[in-house]
Amino acid sequence: MSASGEPRNGAGGVAGRTYPPVNFLVEADRAAEFARSIGADPAAGVPPTFAAVYSLGVTAPQLFGDDEAAVDFARLLHAEQEFTWARHPEPGETVTSQARVASDVSRRGMRFLSFETDTKDEAGEPLCRSRALFVIRP
Amino acid sequence: MSVESAVRDSALSERSVSFTKEQIAAYAQASGDINPIHLDDEFARSVGLPGVIAHGMLQMGLVGVVAAEAAGGPDKLTRLYCRFAGMVVPGDTVTFTAEPAGPGKLHLRAVNQKGEAVLTKSSADFKS
Repeated sequence: MSASGEPRNGAGGVAGRTYPPVNFLVEADRAAEFARSIGADPAAGVPPTFAAVYSLGVTAPQLFGDDEAAVDFARLLHAEQEFTWARHPEPGETVTSQARVASDVSRRGMRFLSFETDTKDEAGEPLCRSRALFVIRP
Repeated sequence: MSVESAVRDSALSERSVSFTKEQIAAYAQASGDINPIHLDDEFARSVGLPGVIAHGMLQMGLVGVVAAEAAGGPDKLTRLYCRFAGMVVPGDTVTFTAEPAGPGKLHLRAVNQKGEAVLTKSSADFKS
């Protein structure tokens, strides 16, 4: 790894790094506000893509705030996103999300970082897996 | 936010959304993603963008609503995948569509008023 923290071509960067788990309380009002912002019916429950908040939303800042990961936020593109759900959370539940850098490679100056977050419920059962592909431009 | 629903033959569910700065700001507030590229035109231009742009995750939220409709309800969605292909700026109108792609599978599209794809290779799985 170079002094700036950016991986050399093909090198591992911060691949394999795991961040501390983060708890998040799924609040009814917050979920309803989110539903309205995407044109979903607030009465239909917590929208699936509220995972943008309880999963990616609480863990991505750990990556962006990690000096060693040296992710240049200004050059970052969110290229792909996948959520897989065992179920969706109910209002009032506390969920726990934990993220890791699944891969971190550079090709021709572009850095491809795959960021995965696993979210579990209070019983420790898997609820959601998020997989984000971040592309950091030179 | 202006949202119109229409169902066509090939699509199980479709919505057209005309984007505004206010809607983008509402999503920023609701999601907690307050990156100034979504809120401040001057900042957005300073990093090479035409002005504020909509969050990719807002596109995903909107297509997710369409997918949920096609799946028979949000609880039925088990997977949602989006590849963010194009920028969306205030004034753009994007049509989000879910089409059947086999049992329990949907192909998702998002196309702007110029016919450009905003999302590509996007899909959802659902349980029956």
